[in-house]
Amino acid sequence: MIEFDHVTRTYGPKTAVADVSLAIPRGELFALLGPNGAGKTTTIRMLVGLLRPSRGTVRVSGFDMVKDPRNAHLHIGYVPDEPCLYDKLTGREFLWFIADMFGLPRHLATQRIATEIDHFELSEFADDLAESYSLGMKQRLVFAASLLHDPDVLVLDEPMVGLDPRSVRIVKDLLKARTQEGMTVFMSTHTLAMAEEMADRVGIMVRGQLRFLGTVSELRDQMALETTSLEQLYLELTSPRSQRAP
Amino acid sequence: MNLPSISKTAASVASQPYSSSNSSCHLLSIEQESRLCFRLRARIAYATLCTMLAGSRLRLCLVVVLSAVFWGSLYALFVEAFTFLNVLHAEIVGVMFNAFFSSLMIMLVFSTGILIYGGMYCTPEARMFMTLPIRSEAIFSHKFQESLWFSSWGFILLGSPMLVAYGVVRESPWTYFCLLLPFMISFVVIPATVGSILCMAMVAWLPRLRMHAISIGLTATCIGGLWMTWSTLSSVRLDSLSPVWFEQTFNRLAMTEQKLFPSWWLSCGLIESARVGKTPGESFESFLESLKFLSVLVANGLLLQLLAGCLARHAYRLGFSQLAGEVPARRQRPIGWFDQMLTNAGSSASKPLRLLIVKDLRLFRRDISQWSQFVIFFGLLGLYFLNVRSFHYNTTYASLIGFLNLAVVGLILSTFTTRFVFPMISLEGRRFWILGLLPVHRDSIVWSKFLFSFLGGIFPCCGLVLLSDVMLGIDTRGILIHELCCVMLCMGLSGIAVGLGARMPDLRESSPSKIAAGFGGTLSLVVSSLFIMVVVIVAALPTHLFLFTHAFGQGASESAGFLLWAGSTSGVATSMGLVIFVSLVATCVPLAFGLRSFRRLEP
Repeated sequence: MIEFDHVTRTYGPKTAVADVSLAIPRGELFALLGPNGAGKTTTIRMLVGLLRPSRGTVRVSGFDMVKDPRNAHLHIGYVPDEPCLYDKLTGREFLWFIADMFGLPRHLATQRIATEIDHFELSEFADDLAESYSLGMKQRLVFAASLLHDPDVLVLDEPMVGLDPRSVRIVKDLLKARTQEGMTVFMSTHTLAMAEEMADRVGIMVRGQLRFLGTVSELRDQMALETTSLEQLYLELTSPRSQRAP
Repeated sequence: MNLPSISKTAASVASQPYSSSNSSCHLLSIEQESRLCFRLRARIAYATLCTMLAGSRLRLCLVVVLSAVFWGSLYALFVEAFTFLNVLHAEIVGVMFNAFFSSLMIMLVFSTGILIYGGMYCTPEARMFMTLPIRSEAIFSHKFQESLWFSSWGFILLGSPMLVAYGVVRESPWTYFCLLLPFMISFVVIPATVGSILCMAMVAWLPRLRMHAISIGLTATCIGGLWMTWSTLSSVRLDSLSPVWFEQTFNRLAMTEQKLFPSWWLSCGLIESARVGKTPGESFESFLESLKFLSVLVANGLLLQLLAGCLARHAYRLGFSQLAGEVPARRQRPIGWFDQMLTNAGSSASKPLRLLIVKDLRLFRRDISQWSQFVIFFGLLGLYFLNVRSFHYNTTYASLIGFLNLAVVGLILSTFTTRFVFPMISLEGRRFWILGLLPVHRDSIVWSKFLFSFLGGIFPCCGLVLLSDVMLGIDTRGILIHELCCVMLCMGLSGIAVGLGARMPDLRESSPSKIAAGFGGTLSLVVSSLFIMVVVIVAALPTHLFLFTHAFGQGASESAGFLLWAGSTSGVATSMGLVIFVSLVATCVPLAFGLRSFRRLEP
């Protein structure tokens, strides 16, 4: 579903992502972890088409994100860290706009908008202008919008920021259910507990390089540590001492 | 206790597969994408209008009334001007149109280019569009329409009374009035598209040279404009407004009459359209000729749109990525010493106040949108003041022009205080979690804004007024009066903007322009304008009564005694006292309200 093939991205002299190769199959929930400035956001931006790789290719559902971005976008749902809404549209109007943009037939769009409003408990404010929404309400609306076209790949950048515990629970349950149905989820997060609980595999980026790729138990084996906590393993892997090691 | 059931519900709902798979979505045609963007804009415009009608009626009414007054005044002015030109110099209308439209064309290229840059590359909306399955050319078209509107509404507001007045004075046929709008729209599309093409090409292929290219282009344009203005005005010091002056001016403006310029097509089209022939056949011929020019404009506009769409297809995503990948230059602190000096000058008790001023000064320096507008407007005023000497006014008119220039300086300053100073308190309110925790009295925040605005305005404004007076040859007494009024204007305008800003903060809004455009900002602008009018009239009246009395003889009026007193030292001193009183009221009253309100503010 998602393929990074020797992807490098530079900002002037600085290499933000260095030769990353990664394949995430259908139905997997993948969590990308790493300290600030590690290259997670750059990776996600390349995955959703906001940035072009300096070298290498990014493919989604077989479509090259640079050569055929429109077809690739047809298969992606994206929840950014800072939700972008039109202040002067209501939540429902925004959902209609997104549904229309993905070319959903009228009857199907009606059904899915109703379903997502129900999933994310938006009905109370779906007909208010978005300018009156709190951050959590905006985030829930963007989640709903990203799932309207039933994408093959869902990309989440810090998805739980601004969500209350009830919404977090709803999102977690949805993600589990959707991955079981075959949706691939690519998630960048600093919430290690969530990654440990949800992710099939984790990737840990440090200074633009993918320092680890695998399951949490594989990480545990690789680090040869007694600890069972992902937090401890993560801190060990990303500590300056560890970064200096070859 | 509810949680498991919620989770269960959500999971069960989520696990229900959609009735159709992902194959139900499909890519839209370009027409469908454009329709969708149009519907989006229409929906947003409707919601904005409803919100304004519901919550900002005063502002809406003010905008409509002031626009109507502005339009009507311009129309009356242009009717007078065209009547005068029709009698004396009918042939210069073509030259005038060419000069006006060609200047406008250049301005539209730059303004649309800058607006397209902001809209297509720097907005959250553009980032959202980049993650949707929409064509780059549809995004361009969507943002282009927005930029076109923002860059050319001024032309519509300024140009329409001029062109309607021209048609009325020339007693043009009804077809002229029908063709006005198509002519104006087809014209503005051309420079706007050129600006967009230049912008997209520069962002995609000259990312590093972008700032240099814009700077060089703007500098070249400014130098060209300055040279034209200077050469036109400097040559006429001895024979201003004489036939020789007109001839020389026409010769200089002839360079704008290039047949390959859209401005020439527009001028010729409008003139032909307005022409009334001696016979119906001649009139019809003129009409056809104007349609020919309209067709040239439309055809070129459409061709450029095609080229821009093609460029967007190839360059937009590339440019977006290039721009997002740029490393911001490390900020230099070439005048850090000045900040340091300002911070350390004075007693330690007032240091928090100075620190707040230095912080605002840094923010101002680093916000190009603020200081560039400041430089452009005051620079243009300076250019005008440098040239006022060319017209050889007599003493009475020189004094009158001096006061009008003072009013203009005040009005320009009032737009800055409303646009940039008024929102400062609201923006501080958003950062209250920082300031609120500091050991600083809340009053210091308000006072720092006032001092920042007052001291920041006083030097350029007094400098400009001095320049104007020196160029007009006004005597020392007149200069002192104008300077005192200028200081009072700076103080009052700062008090009004800061006081009302603190009294009516908008803590939810993060955009200064939106804060300034709200009710408080509009009120601040109206009050500022009234204040300027009062100060200038109170200061100017005694001087002019005195001058007119002298000019028309003491027996010209039964109230000559009062007029003489008004022009005497005691009369002028009284008027200055009144000016100071009015300014103190305008400063202290809003500030007092603002301070009281800000002390009680609960962010």
